[in-house]
Amino acid sequence: MGSEMINDSKGSISRRNFLKLSGAASIAAATAGSGLLDARPGSAAQETSPVFDSKYGVCDMCFNRCSLIARVRDGVVEKLDPNPKFLKSRGMLCARGNAGVRQLYDPDRLKYPLLRKGARGEGKWQRLTWPEALDYAAEKLTEIAEEYSRCGVVFMAGSDMQSTFIHRFAEVFGSYNTLSHESMCLIAGTRGFLDTFGEVPIPDMLYTKYVVMAGANRFESLVTPDSIDLMTAIKNGCKLVVLDPRYTKTAALSDEWYPIKPGTDMAVMLAFAHVLITEDLYDKEFVAEKCYGIEQLSEYVKPFTPEWAQEQSQIPAADIRRMAREMASHAPQAMIYPGRRSSNYENSTQIRRSYAIVNALLGNWDRPGGLTAARMVGLKSPSFDAPFYENNPDDRIDAGVAKLMFEEEGSFKIARDAIIKGEPYPVKGFFTYKTNPLQTAANRRKTMEMVEKLDFMCTVDITMSDTAWLADLVLPSQCALERSDPCSSQQGSSACACVVMRDAVAPPAFESKSMFWIVKELAGRMALGEYFDFTVEEYREQQLAELPGAMDVLLKDGVYYNPSKLYGVYEGRIFKTKSKKIELYNERYEQMGLDPVPVYRSPRDTGKGQFRLVVGRNAVITQSSSQNNSLLVQFQPDNDLWIHPQSAGELGIRHGDTVTVESKAGRQRIRARVTERTRPDTVYMHTGFGVLSKGLSNVRGKGACIAEVLEDYMDDISGNMAMHETIVKVSKEAA
Amino acid sequence: MKSRLAMAVDASTCIDCKACMSACKVANKVPENHWRNWIKSADLDVQPGKHGRLRFQPGNCMHCDKPTCVDACPTGATYKDETDGTVRIDRGICIGCGQCMSACPYGARYRHPELRVADKCDFCAERRAAGLEPACVSTCPTKTRTFGDLNDPKSELNRLLKANKSVRVVNARSNTDPNIYYLGNPGIEDWPVEARMPSAFEFWKNLAGPVVKLFVGLSAAGFGAMLIKQLIAPGDGTNQDDKEREKDE
Repeated sequence: MGSEMINDSKGSISRRNFLKLSGAASIAAATAGSGLLDARPGSAAQETSPVFDSKYGVCDMCFNRCSLIARVRDGVVEKLDPNPKFLKSRGMLCARGNAGVRQLYDPDRLKYPLLRKGARGEGKWQRLTWPEALDYAAEKLTEIAEEYSRCGVVFMAGSDMQSTFIHRFAEVFGSYNTLSHESMCLIAGTRGFLDTFGEVPIPDMLYTKYVVMAGANRFESLVTPDSIDLMTAIKNGCKLVVLDPRYTKTAALSDEWYPIKPGTDMAVMLAFAHVLITEDLYDKEFVAEKCYGIEQLSEYVKPFTPEWAQEQSQIPAADIRRMAREMASHAPQAMIYPGRRSSNYENSTQIRRSYAIVNALLGNWDRPGGLTAARMVGLKSPSFDAPFYENNPDDRIDAGVAKLMFEEEGSFKIARDAIIKGEPYPVKGFFTYKTNPLQTAANRRKTMEMVEKLDFMCTVDITMSDTAWLADLVLPSQCALERSDPCSSQQGSSACACVVMRDAVAPPAFESKSMFWIVKELAGRMALGEYFDFTVEEYREQQLAELPGAMDVLLKDGVYYNPSKLYGVYEGRIFKTKSKKIELYNERYEQMGLDPVPVYRSPRDTGKGQFRLVVGRNAVITQSSSQNNSLLVQFQPDNDLWIHPQSAGELGIRHGDTVTVESKAGRQRIRARVTERTRPDTVYMHTGFGVLSKGLSNVRGKGACIAEVLEDYMDDISGNMAMHETIVKVSKEAA
Repeated sequence: MKSRLAMAVDASTCIDCKACMSACKVANKVPENHWRNWIKSADLDVQPGKHGRLRFQPGNCMHCDKPTCVDACPTGATYKDETDGTVRIDRGICIGCGQCMSACPYGARYRHPELRVADKCDFCAERRAAGLEPACVSTCPTKTRTFGDLNDPKSELNRLLKANKSVRVVNARSNTDPNIYYLGNPGIEDWPVEARMPSAFEFWKNLAGPVVKLFVGLSAAGFGAMLIKQLIAPGDGTNQDDKEREKDE
């Protein structure tokens, strides 16, 4: 490519000569040349070949952790580019990833530790020095430990490469109560697949030929490499069928879209199973060899004809039957896409289990274009022996409610109820890092009620999130471009089994500190310093101990691949289930009093003027963490309420009207978007707006908050929030 | 021309994720609420069941071979770079008059509110000088855009253009010979508008002689006056022209 030649008189020569006839124009040109150029970065006269420093980093604008290259000039990160060697993202960086520079240089960044002075949410703060803040936090944590118990403090961390240090701190401090964001997101799906296959499979999108996507919106809610590989698969002839009450962009890019009645996905899956079994279309050899319970399942699905499923889902029976046959004809390169967020219904674990069962019948496990097993990356988890504390309660605060809760994730919903009740024991401390339950957990009022029960809430984040806004102590953390993190392993089916590592590409803003530094300092103040007696670099060495040479590769390429077998991993291997096979019928469930096969329950009806509220996001939204980004806000300045023209007409609502959306949990005012892209019985909102915090200047006062309107239902088995169970009333606001 | 830089776009793979717009904005320090590139689509045809797949159509300045913006520019600030075929803006002599904006059938230009000059895609000249691809190209998840040199027979761009039928999206009355080639079906095609050329120049360019030159000179003097106005006008981009244009949008 030629260098730029824009400062000479090439180009529109004739026009320039024209102008030179005019004295005024000459003066004008001269004035422009001398008067303005200096003030214009990148203007013609100053344009020289730029020399960027290029440094590897790992994006942190969502959970995907894409390797990136920061272009740094004079110590300033000017641009983030994808790392072409990072195959999980297929060498891309999305809109949010590109907007990462705006997160780094966000004027709304928290600048120094803040101590609440007024009432909660009043926004009165006192600036503290770090030693003052850490002394105060250590003192409050110790007070709670002594007055109540060490489990009287809950530690909640979002998806972050330093969250492991919070868990370590919680453990050595002596609290079993660690929570993550995942019980507002994906644990029902994880549960359903785990309890069928014995592990959580990774879809091999790249080589699939037929995908039924229900309860996922992969072209808007980006997951690497699935979103990208799905498009490549489509280009190579893969057929995509989308079942979604909304006409999403994924639906628009599909071959077929059916506006399924919300909450009826299981009915369609059971009908798929019915067709595959009654028409003898399932992979009999695979099922005979690898699956347990085909007899029970065959008997069970007999009544679930496509005609029955049509009554439930409102998808034509003929199409359901045809889809099942088409899937079978493409199997094993066909799949029900497992999906990610499954915090939808009270029986979401069983809904996702029904997805898993259809996949098993297709025999797509461990084969190209199907569902693949996790691979060993080889990263070690440095171990330690936590101290034992007497006088601690026997179990977690959220134990014993959901029968199959993941202890490493917990259940925010159950924990919150327990904290409010003060039972089974009091929790008086809450420590959060990079998670925002005030926005992401259904029923905001209950979350606020929980906060009121606390003696001490400490929030570590990069901006004044709604959760920080209600905290007692707010500590500014570094953003991902400012810190060195532990290594992280990544799985992406045929794309990769790899390791990424994060080093700082920019100096930390203001007084921000890393989470590692914060817990290390706290530990030091609480006589627990020995458990953090290492550096991040030393921690990484332990992680990479069994991968000689990996560090050199990471430094050179920004990503390290550990090549391993991708398909046929389960040849001669047992499944990690009770029957040691894929469980079409789950005896463990039966013994626990749970349905051994997924049992369908009709979703409750919406009355007149009532709607089921569904929530979601798009490619420029990450839950509630990206809305204030000064670049992304230009794509998505606020949210609105999607409502079907027929329903809007009945309520006298016009496009752009302000409406009230109301549930038993709360109400919000929001602008109506009258659109055929949602069902007449379903309304939709994006997540993350309607903030409480006055520290988010770009999004303050914009849109409405899902957490305020959603009632807090829960998936009984996993303890996952069930975000799509809320029935709302929508009414036009009086003028 | 040593090189003829161009872009091939496969609209069938675009997922409308805005990565290209976000990347461009950062790479080129494009001011808030202005964009150098876009993603267009037809109105959604919400049809349950089997349906044709919607196409999203990414685009930016098409670096036309017959650029109406160059013809419309009164100062020569907008010009066709003969070395690589790109249409460029010399900010040093742009007076921000906006004639190029209405002359562009694709709406590819905007007035930079602080610099008070026309601005648009330059295929990331600065990045290219550093050996990098245009930001929109390298960042795209589905690699919808392919950038390259039409004069280089070995380029991936030429390979794609040979292997596929391509379409250039134009307004029939203002065919500017654009250099974005849409592979296969580009989706929406009827959006480019007729180039609106400045009337004074349209009229005078068909005549010749010293009288004409005098008038054109006077006309240019008018633009000189506009420049002075630009220089003393407030820099918040809220002058009358901008307000008018916002109404049009």
